[in-house]
Amino acid sequence: MRSTAHGKGRQRRAALATALALALALLAVGWAGAAPAPGFRVITHPGNPALSVERAFLADVFLKKTTRWSDDEPIRPVDQGPDSVTRQRFSEQILRRSVFAVRSYWQQRIFAGRGLPPPELESDEAVLRYVRSRPGAVGYVSDRAELAGVKLLGVN
Amino acid sequence: MLAAGLWAGSSAAQDDATSLTAPFELHAFVSQGFILSAKNEYLANSKHGSLEFSEVGVNLTKTLPENLRLGVQLFGHDLGPFGNFAPQFDWYYLDWRPRDWFGVRVGRLKMPFGLYNELNDIDAARVPILLPQSLYQADHREYLFALAGGELYGDLHLGDAGSLEYRAYGGTLPAQPPGSRPGVTVTRAAVPYVYGARLLWSTPLEGLVAGFSAQVVRFDWDVVLDPALVGALEPLGLLPPGLTYPMQVQFRVPRWIASLQYTAHDLDFSAEYSRWTGQFRSPAPALFPPHTVNERYYAMASYHAASWFTPGLYYSGYFVNVEDRHGRENYQHDLAITTRYDLTDHWLFKLEGHLMFGTAALDNAQLNVGRERKDLAPTWGVLLVKTTAYF
Repeated sequence: MRSTAHGKGRQRRAALATALALALALLAVGWAGAAPAPGFRVITHPGNPALSVERAFLADVFLKKTTRWSDDEPIRPVDQGPDSVTRQRFSEQILRRSVFAVRSYWQQRIFAGRGLPPPELESDEAVLRYVRSRPGAVGYVSDRAELAGVKLLGVN
Repeated sequence: MLAAGLWAGSSAAQDDATSLTAPFELHAFVSQGFILSAKNEYLANSKHGSLEFSEVGVNLTKTLPENLRLGVQLFGHDLGPFGNFAPQFDWYYLDWRPRDWFGVRVGRLKMPFGLYNELNDIDAARVPILLPQSLYQADHREYLFALAGGELYGDLHLGDAGSLEYRAYGGTLPAQPPGSRPGVTVTRAAVPYVYGARLLWSTPLEGLVAGFSAQVVRFDWDVVLDPALVGALEPLGLLPPGLTYPMQVQFRVPRWIASLQYTAHDLDFSAEYSRWTGQFRSPAPALFPPHTVNERYYAMASYHAASWFTPGLYYSGYFVNVEDRHGRENYQHDLAITTRYDLTDHWLFKLEGHLMFGTAALDNAQLNVGRERKDLAPTWGVLLVKTTAYF
C-alpha cells in the first residue's frame, strides 16, 4: 500500500515538474517572440574584418573611450541628429543613457577640453555615405534603410 | 567674420576631422545670471540683487593625424569681485593618445578632482546653477580649476569588472596672493607645485561609477604685518621676538575626495565626501595654525522629467575644522532646489533656491565688509536665475 502511494506521489511530482518546465519554456518563447525589434541596425565600412561586437564595446566607441578596432584601425563613429528616433533607440539600448545624458556628457568633454563628440548627420543616407567612404567608420541606421555598400555589424 | 568662417567650416570638420586642411572645430557659450540673497552677501553684493554673474567662453579644437589633438579655450567671467571680465586662457593643450590606455597632454589643463571640478564653468553641462559649494567653490576658481603642466591618462578595460579611467597630473598654478586681512599683507605668492590623481571606476552595475581623487598643492607667501598689529601681538607672545619681515609662510594642502555616481536612464544621483588638510609652516605658529582639517560633502539628485525640464536638489555640508563643529562661523549647510529648462537644443534657463545654515564659507574680505563670520545671519537664503546659450 505504502509503496503504491509513494509511486503515485512520485508520478504527481514528475508531472508537476514537466508542466512547470513546459510553462517556463513557453514563457521564454513568448518573451523571445514579444521582444521588440531594436529599431536600428549597426553598420560599418565593408573593409572592416569585424563581424560582431559586444554592446559595451560599441558604447565605449560612441563615448570615445575606445578608439581602435582590434586590427589597430582608428574607429570613426558617426551619430544621427539628437531629434532622430533612431538615435534615441540606439542611445537607450546601446549606451543605456538618454540622448539628453549623452549630450550632457559631450558638453562636459567639449568645454573641459577633453574631446569632441562623433559627427551628427541628419539622415540614414548621410550616415550610409559617411560609413561607406571611411575605413573604420561605424554608425547606425533605421530598419528601413537599404544597406548598399556597407556591412551589417552584429551586436551581442 | 572669422567666427563665421570657422563655424561654417565646423560641419566640414566633422566629415574628416583629422585632415590637415580641415578647419578647427568651434564651440562657445554665453551665460548671464542674477543673484539675490537675504541677510548676507553671497558671491557678489547680492542683498539688493546683482547681475555681476556672467560667463563667456570660446574654444577651438583641432584633431591632427598621428593621434594628436590641440585645443584652446578663451574665457572671461564676472562674479561679484572675481573675474571682472578679464579674458584668460582657461585651458590649452597638446594631446597625444597613441593607445586607449595611454595618453599624454601638456599645457594649461583642467584638474580632475571629484566628479565635477572640470565643469564648474560649464553651465550647459550640469543641472544646478551652482554646484555644491562645499566642494566646488565658484569663488576659488583661480587655484582650484586648472594647472600649467602635464598629465598622463587612459581608459583600462577590465572585462567583467567594468572599466577604469585614470588621470595623473603635476605642475603649478597661477600664484595669486590670498585676500588681504586687516594688518596682514602678502607681498609675494608662488605655487611651487601641485600634483594629484583621479581614478574613476565604471562598475559592472550599469550606470554606477565610483571614484577617488587626491591632490597636494603648496602655496609660498611672503607676509608683512602692520606695525600696529606687531605691537599688539608681541606682548601677548603670539609673535617670536626679533622676527624679520617679510616672513616666509608655507601653506601645504593635501586633500582627497571619494565619489559615487549612479545614472539610471533619466535619474542621476551623486554623492561625494572630502577632507582637506591645511598645513602651515611659519615662524609665527600662533597666527598660522600648523594643522587644520576641514570636511566637505554633498548628495545631489536630478531627474530628466521631460525633454525640456529637469528638476534637481542637493544638500551640501562644510565644516572649517573637524575639531570644532559648533558656532555658525564653523559650519555651512546648503539645501538647494533647482530647475533646468532646455528651451532649445542650444539655449537653457535655470532657476534655483538655496536655504543656508551657517556662515563658514562667507570668508571673502570684499563682501560682508566689516562683519565677522560669527556676526553674520546664521540662517539665510539665496535665489539665482541664469540663462545660457551654447553650441
